[in-house]
Amino acid sequence: MALYLYIPGTSAVHRLHPTVKLFGMVAFFVAAFVCERAELLLPLVFGVVLLLVTSGSLPNVRRLRILFVLVFVMTFIIWTLFYRQGDIWFSFGPISVGPQSVRYALGMALKLTTFLAVGTLFLSTAKVEEFAYALTRLGLPYKLGFTMTLAFRLVPAFVESGFTVVQAQRCRGFDFDEGSVWQRVRRYVPVIVPVFIGALRRADNMAMALEARGFQSGRPRTFFQRYHFRLSDALVLVVLAGIAAGYLWMWHLGMTRM
Amino acid sequence: MSDDLAVEIADLSFSYDGADHPALQGVSLRLRRGEFVVVMGRTGAGKSTLAKCINRTVPAFQTGAMHGSVRVLGRDLDGLQVGALAGQVGLVLQDFEAQLFATDVVQEIAFGLEQLGLPPAEMAERVRAALALVGLAGFEARDPATLSGGEKQRLAIAAVLAMRPPLLVFDEPTTDLDPLGKHEVFTVLDTMRRSGHTMLLVEHEIEAAERADRVVLLDSGRIIADGPARQIRRDIELLRRAGVRPGDLDRIAVALALPTDATTLDDVERRLRAGEGARVVTRAGDDSAQHADAGAPTFLEVRHVDIEYPGGKAVLRDVNLHLDSGEFVALIGQNGSGKTTLAKLLNGILRPTRGDVILDGDNLASLPLAHVASRVGYVFQDPDQQLFAASVREEVSFGPRNLGVPKDQLEERVREALDAVGLSGLEDSDPFLLGKGERQRLAVAALLAQRPHLLILDEPTTGLDYDQQVRMMELVADLHRRGLIVVVITHSPWVVAQYARRGILLTGGRVVFDGPLRALFREEEMLDRAHFRIPPVTQLGRRLGRSVMSVEEFLAP
Repeated sequence: MALYLYIPGTSAVHRLHPTVKLFGMVAFFVAAFVCERAELLLPLVFGVVLLLVTSGSLPNVRRLRILFVLVFVMTFIIWTLFYRQGDIWFSFGPISVGPQSVRYALGMALKLTTFLAVGTLFLSTAKVEEFAYALTRLGLPYKLGFTMTLAFRLVPAFVESGFTVVQAQRCRGFDFDEGSVWQRVRRYVPVIVPVFIGALRRADNMAMALEARGFQSGRPRTFFQRYHFRLSDALVLVVLAGIAAGYLWMWHLGMTRM
Repeated sequence: MSDDLAVEIADLSFSYDGADHPALQGVSLRLRRGEFVVVMGRTGAGKSTLAKCINRTVPAFQTGAMHGSVRVLGRDLDGLQVGALAGQVGLVLQDFEAQLFATDVVQEIAFGLEQLGLPPAEMAERVRAALALVGLAGFEARDPATLSGGEKQRLAIAAVLAMRPPLLVFDEPTTDLDPLGKHEVFTVLDTMRRSGHTMLLVEHEIEAAERADRVVLLDSGRIIADGPARQIRRDIELLRRAGVRPGDLDRIAVALALPTDATTLDDVERRLRAGEGARVVTRAGDDSAQHADAGAPTFLEVRHVDIEYPGGKAVLRDVNLHLDSGEFVALIGQNGSGKTTLAKLLNGILRPTRGDVILDGDNLASLPLAHVASRVGYVFQDPDQQLFAASVREEVSFGPRNLGVPKDQLEERVREALDAVGLSGLEDSDPFLLGKGERQRLAVAALLAQRPHLLILDEPTTGLDYDQQVRMMELVADLHRRGLIVVVITHSPWVVAQYARRGILLTGGRVVFDGPLRALFREEEMLDRAHFRIPPVTQLGRRLGRSVMSVEEFLAP
């Protein structure tokens, strides 16, 4: 099991400088964030879909399709039912449905799906190391970026060991599906303890291996991957900044609100 | 001190904080440049502590009181940080998963070089050279998570090698690997030795000593022997005292007083054929394969089982077998051959995609979990993946309680199970404070308390020293004598040879052999393909036209 979504490629998106990729993700997030109106989100959605297709990231969309559908449908239903402004077609207790609530729900659903799509695009085209590199370039401590890289490596190992422990305890007649929620949480002790202790031991070994390889030894470090900031990166950066600024301007003028 | 010394340890003693006994006592050791020294001894002898003192991970990570001096490449380590030795002393650990941090092979190797601040152009060259040396050229873009155990450990070695440290320390690098992985790592060590690397290797298995210049034996924190590998390998008594399993061929050579240059299979065979130790060669071949009773009732039957993982990847294909009362079965095969999947099928953790498993006349699929757990016990490879309780008593009674055993019978079950594994009297101890061997036996006790008819053990000897391995296997043999059907998954040739009667060999998810062990050991080609090496004594016997499973049998008058 691997947690990363990176798909090796040579598309225009892949070739961008890591900081531009990171900035692009943030720009799209900001633009989508300030939007309530579905029609204003559509250009963003269109743009992201185009990039997903041209960068060869669609396999990941397919991998995450259930998540995409769930986010869209659940958001739409919840906001349709609980948004209480404007005309009302019918209501029942705290629930009410009207044209505004449907429009608002559509906007929210598109917005969250856009977040998901932008994130998918980023993780499909940027290695975890690039992400860490970009954060370092932006002045964040290298440790932070590295911790993130490590999380991507550790979480799957964690989950895997969890599955093994569950199986081991099932062999001892341990049934996880019995009892109330609280009882079930308490029943997870036989799983949590071994997983936790295993993780601690591994963390200890990791720290040793890291230091032995000179991690944080105080020497000035270098990066193996050299990323050149090209003219194209600058142009893309300008376009991205323009998009973010445009949406912020519309938001400032109140155009993004319903 | 002279310049050609890589390591000079003088009168080193170390006690871990809170420990009753010192881990090292008055250890003095020198390594010349270009030397390959193997440190052996039982668990707790101080091997790992000694190795870690050389790059300061002891006392930096595991604190304690240190006396004496450690000099590496002429520099006294006192007061140095671990990081200050990066690039000087390379460390490779047993846990290969804990040594990999990157998302592709190249980045992994570059990681240490980045920390050293090397210019990128030089890194590329070093990455290439390191990959070539460990035989991973072509793996550049791979995600380390997708590599096999042997490949991961080789990558960890490459990552350390690329930093070009004058000295390399290996702390049990092959313990968690299957035979193929072990072979891969040993091959890398041989290459490194030829290219003049200075290496200190901590190992359990004598196989390692065959490659070394010198062997150091530790016992209770003291060096009890330090000499040429050839000489120490022949000192069977000394090895036994240090808790190291002597090599089959060495034992035979000593028993038959063969000259000291007879070390390889070819040597020993030639000497024996030339008439030395003649009484052994001329003995007629015996092939009294011990069959289990033909009429024994079948306990468990696997019928035409396929298992596929989601996505359609077949893990088991058309598996048919039955386990009868009184059997002791070894389940062998390369990692990824489906051994563990098959074992998990036998106790219902995994369900067949097609086919049936019949347990005592009932289809396993129709039986409730508790019912299966009370008949089939499964001891996982790593005891720490199931131990969780605050006391040994609680740990052992966990299973029976889940199975609904009445409270007044629990004490009886605990007593019986602890008695069987030799842990009586430790009822109130904390499982996590027990040694590895004891935890392994506790895990067995926890399953025994469920009173199963069939006990499956996944690699019960991995990570144990020789004495602990023998103790573990004698325990299993004893349980077998008391009537339990035993299935052992193992990579250890001598464990298979000495304890099992029937062998099942899996290759690519298929049972390619199922029958008496002696017959299996004749299928050299099949075993080679599965990277299973029969014990050296069996190989020697075969060359001399005999079927033998142990040195005792080989030498028996």
